[in-house]
Amino acid sequence: MRILLASLRTAIDAGTVVVLAGMGELVTERVGVLNLGQEGLIGIGAVAAVIVAEGVTSPWVALLAGMAAAGLLGFLFASSVVVVRTNQVLTGLAVVLIGVGLSNQLGNNYQGSPVVHRFVPFDIPLLADIPQIGPALFRHDVIVFLSYVALPVVVTFLLFRTRHGMNLRAVGENPAAADAAGINVTAMRLLYTSLGAALTGAGGAFLMLSFTHAWSPNVARGRGWVALAVVIFAAWRPSLLVFGALLFGAMISLGFIAQQQNWGIPSSVLSMLPYVVTLALIVLPPALGRFGVKVRSSVAPAALAQPYFREER
Amino acid sequence: MIGTRAEAGAPARVRLERRLHVETRRSALVRIAGLLVALVVTGILLQASGRSAPTLAGEVFRATFGGRFGLEETAVLATPILIDAIAVAIGLRMHLWNIGVEGQFYMGAWAAAGVGLFVDAPRPVLLILMALAGAAGGASWILIPAIARAYWNVNEIITTLLLNFVAVSWVEWFSIGLWRDKEAAVVQATPPVGARLPLLPGSIILHVGFLLPLVLAVVFFFVFRNSRWGFEVDMVGGNPRAAEFAGIAVRRRILSVMLLSGAIAGVSGMVHLSGATGRLQGTISNAYGLSGFIVAALAGASFFGLLAGGLFIALLLHSGIVLQSAGLSVYIVLAIYGVVLIGISVGEMASRYRLVLGGKRDLASGPKEAPP
Amino acid sequence: MPAPAGAPGQLVVEARDITKSFDEVLALDHVDLELRIGEVHALLGENGAGKTTLSNVLAGIYRADSGTVLVDGVEHHFRSPAQAIEAGIGMVHQHFRLIHPMTVAENIHLGWRDTPQFVTKRELIERTERVMGELGMHVDPSAEIWQLSVGEQQRVEILRTLARGARILILDEPTAVLTEQEARDLFSVIRGLVEGGRTVVFISHKLNEVLEVSDRITVLRDGVRVISRLTAGATARELAKLMTGEERELLEKSRTKVGDRPVLELVNVTARGSRGFIAIHEASLTVHAGEIVGIAGVSGNGQTELAEVATGLRRVDSGRVSIEGFDNTNSAPRRFAEAGVGHIPEDRLGVGLVRSAPVRDNAVLRNYWKPEHSGRLALRRGRISEFARRLVEAARVQTRSIYSPAGYLSGGNQQRLIAGREALVAERVFIANQPTRGLDVHATQDVRQSLIDRRSAGCGVLLISEDLDEVLEMSDRIVVLYEGRIVGEFPRTDVDRERIGLLMGGHIGPADAEEASV
Repeated sequence: MRILLASLRTAIDAGTVVVLAGMGELVTERVGVLNLGQEGLIGIGAVAAVIVAEGVTSPWVALLAGMAAAGLLGFLFASSVVVVRTNQVLTGLAVVLIGVGLSNQLGNNYQGSPVVHRFVPFDIPLLADIPQIGPALFRHDVIVFLSYVALPVVVTFLLFRTRHGMNLRAVGENPAAADAAGINVTAMRLLYTSLGAALTGAGGAFLMLSFTHAWSPNVARGRGWVALAVVIFAAWRPSLLVFGALLFGAMISLGFIAQQQNWGIPSSVLSMLPYVVTLALIVLPPALGRFGVKVRSSVAPAALAQPYFREER
Repeated sequence: MIGTRAEAGAPARVRLERRLHVETRRSALVRIAGLLVALVVTGILLQASGRSAPTLAGEVFRATFGGRFGLEETAVLATPILIDAIAVAIGLRMHLWNIGVEGQFYMGAWAAAGVGLFVDAPRPVLLILMALAGAAGGASWILIPAIARAYWNVNEIITTLLLNFVAVSWVEWFSIGLWRDKEAAVVQATPPVGARLPLLPGSIILHVGFLLPLVLAVVFFFVFRNSRWGFEVDMVGGNPRAAEFAGIAVRRRILSVMLLSGAIAGVSGMVHLSGATGRLQGTISNAYGLSGFIVAALAGASFFGLLAGGLFIALLLHSGIVLQSAGLSVYIVLAIYGVVLIGISVGEMASRYRLVLGGKRDLASGPKEAPP
Repeated sequence: MPAPAGAPGQLVVEARDITKSFDEVLALDHVDLELRIGEVHALLGENGAGKTTLSNVLAGIYRADSGTVLVDGVEHHFRSPAQAIEAGIGMVHQHFRLIHPMTVAENIHLGWRDTPQFVTKRELIERTERVMGELGMHVDPSAEIWQLSVGEQQRVEILRTLARGARILILDEPTAVLTEQEARDLFSVIRGLVEGGRTVVFISHKLNEVLEVSDRITVLRDGVRVISRLTAGATARELAKLMTGEERELLEKSRTKVGDRPVLELVNVTARGSRGFIAIHEASLTVHAGEIVGIAGVSGNGQTELAEVATGLRRVDSGRVSIEGFDNTNSAPRRFAEAGVGHIPEDRLGVGLVRSAPVRDNAVLRNYWKPEHSGRLALRRGRISEFARRLVEAARVQTRSIYSPAGYLSGGNQQRLIAGREALVAERVFIANQPTRGLDVHATQDVRQSLIDRRSAGCGVLLISEDLDEVLEMSDRIVVLYEGRIVGEFPRTDVDRERIGLLMGGHIGPADAEEASV
């Protein structure tokens, strides 16, 4: 039982990066842009946070630095695919390469040295006192709480309760119609792709300022790719995304536990688990749907990954 | 137009119009232009970071072209990249983005290693068996994403991508665990496989596998020009509904194209295993699949462009080794790679679309006095 | 929405000397237009006459090369549709700009300055109800667009435009996608708007509608204004002449005797459409050798599904499809082609052609597998090119070479290519679905001629067209399709145009006779 609870704790922590990167990508895809560069953005966010953390006492400043750096790279990506209209898949891969390359290069000097000023877990009063599950659920650092609770609420509110959010969704579904309605498609796409990237960068910063709190090469460890898959799994809905991220986190923590408890399963096998499960989650619903079992309808924003060309004005 | 006055602040309108058909020469030239721009940008950045770009370039040049060994190393590096690129290119003719070539490469290498370690046969026979195993390994690895795409329209980018990671872990499990070479304690790999590809006559390390991409490129060039299957694949790629109207079994074609793509990537793994490394290691690929994917995506439908692009990328990656000695980590090469990719992407974009500068017709309407 | 000011009859919009070119094509040549308060003004002309271009200039979507637009006497140079709306001009296009997964209420409020920053679904619905009440038009505000009928979607578009203060409403071919009944409803909406002091510009190429609903007509031809006159007193014949510049000539047809032999038989066929709803309901139809059977009906009543079922592109739920007596129910497209069934699909570019492929490849799309064009593995490129050249010549397709992509051909030439290709496949049956839609006069004639030629050769032709005139002119027998059911059948000699029109609109009872006249 104690193991289960500990694994729950780890799952939540491990899933935070996926929540942040996933939510960033969700917003980006909602506005019609496919950003495959999550791995690179996590790396950039992480390395920027680590570098800045050296010189400041507040982890928040480092966090913002990570977000800004990733946001900048995201903006460059957005300019390329929205304004110049380069192929989104290839440009996204370029972001991965640039992000991973640059971050590994710069992070080299910080390898192994732990970040001093970081986010510390704290208890939520009353709730953390619940026997057994209290500490597992309610003793985390502030970023974790914000990511799992505040972030989906904010994003849901934005998308479904504001005029601006309605415009955002329209751009992702039918940019021609949005354009005809007077919405600035280019500006929306630039803005939300950059913001989404900044959010992903926050995930990278979180890794440095809380989770592992020390640099190592390829710090993202594939979580950027999982974030992409989780967005699909969540049918582009923020509330489901949190659930998916948690599931992924659970896989990772199972891996840790297996090692600790010496269950005899090699770590290689365990590291496969998250990906296999994610794959199943993507492939099974449509497959079952074909055989008559309705699981859930997953509808992508109709104009996803298609560049928008306005006819002559 | 005399008498017309542009509205204050109105910019010249620029319009992008899609071309249906791009002449190969223009498309090649524009991509090369993009590449050159990217290299120049890289040079400037390197210069800014305190290093002498020309010196570095010179060292890279010397290391690669200066001696026989450099050339061979580059060619050995180019082989898996090129074969992977061909695998991707076949899928791309139907707009199927097989980014999973990396994983299929790994599984092909694994299957070939399995045969190569445990089957006893004379060299030529063993090599053929290993090749078949490689093809089977790669094809089976893409099977689920292929079915999901053909029958349930599940996007193949994510599915094949996820399987890449699984494949890496799988091979790691075997090469460091189950099949590990227990005698050579330092080596983190399997024992050497039973058969190796022969070297090209007179070479030090360059094996005959280097010829495979050239052969495949020629073969597929003719396949897509003259064969029935190639025609059908291109029709499906152009318009699946019209292809259905033409009586082509669209879903079966999607499946067969993807399986073929996976099989070729699997053979690529086998070739690299038996030609270059000799043992199955956890790191048997150094992002060859990713590079192959990028090369194929940028080369468009041109097999010649693919060969040229693959060789160039091999050069770039090879230069990483040289740059390391200049104090730059191999990671910087990745970043350069990314910049180059963007440069060429912009070029590709420019070749597919035509830039039409708004002429007088787009300025605001005429003078207040209506002309007679 | 405040009621527009100004007396009926007063000039509200004046366009002077509008000229517009696209590349080398002159679309509008010094065109003038006068619109008055309280009038329904029809813009009449063939396809390509310039009606839509002129409207786009008025609505701020295009900028004219020269000329001026005055609204209430004030000169405007619209740089965007938003500016045009502010001046009171709004347009509803043929292709709606609606977001399908969003609700009616959301669509109406999209990009609207009046929409509050923070909204709940319920608030939007309430606001929408209010707007609908003021304007006298109603659609379920909480429905998502994809759930609505086309007529209802159009109403949403109109509501959107009016809600933003449009006093001059331009409707581009609004009845193209409506049933007769929906068109009637639209006309009464238009009347209501105009009585309230607005102006409606009605773009159409359908003479009867224009004569029925408009107060004033402007005829455009080849980018030039031919005439502007009051509708009262105009005749269809005269307008047609002005539109085309010539009397419409009847096609040369040698009347061959209709055979007894059935070549295409549908027996009690039921099939579903792409959305899953039943599209054809126990339809039975026979086409004999040497006859043209015309299916009259507005698009969307099952025509396409009928054509697809008879060509192998769609499966039936029940029923039988036979070609020359042989059961071909649910056979693959290639079987139907081998059985001699040719098909000009409604969706030319979506189904009929591969745009990125050369004309040569498109020419053999439906017979490339035959031994004369390919062996077991390889194609016989020489034979194929030869075939393609001959086809292009015979079908009068204007193209620079057989190697240029089919997408570069004009619409008329694309259809000539398809028609020519399919005519060769059609040894027994020739199915043509909206074959002349959007084509110019010459292309239309060429395509119709190919149908007639096939009929003379003993083929059975199934002509599906929304153009009732075309159906009446060409068919030996006319069948009316409404909501997937065959609701009427008329031999050529016993045609009751009014009755057909009613059946097309769903008025099946004998006592329902509505006035449809000038």
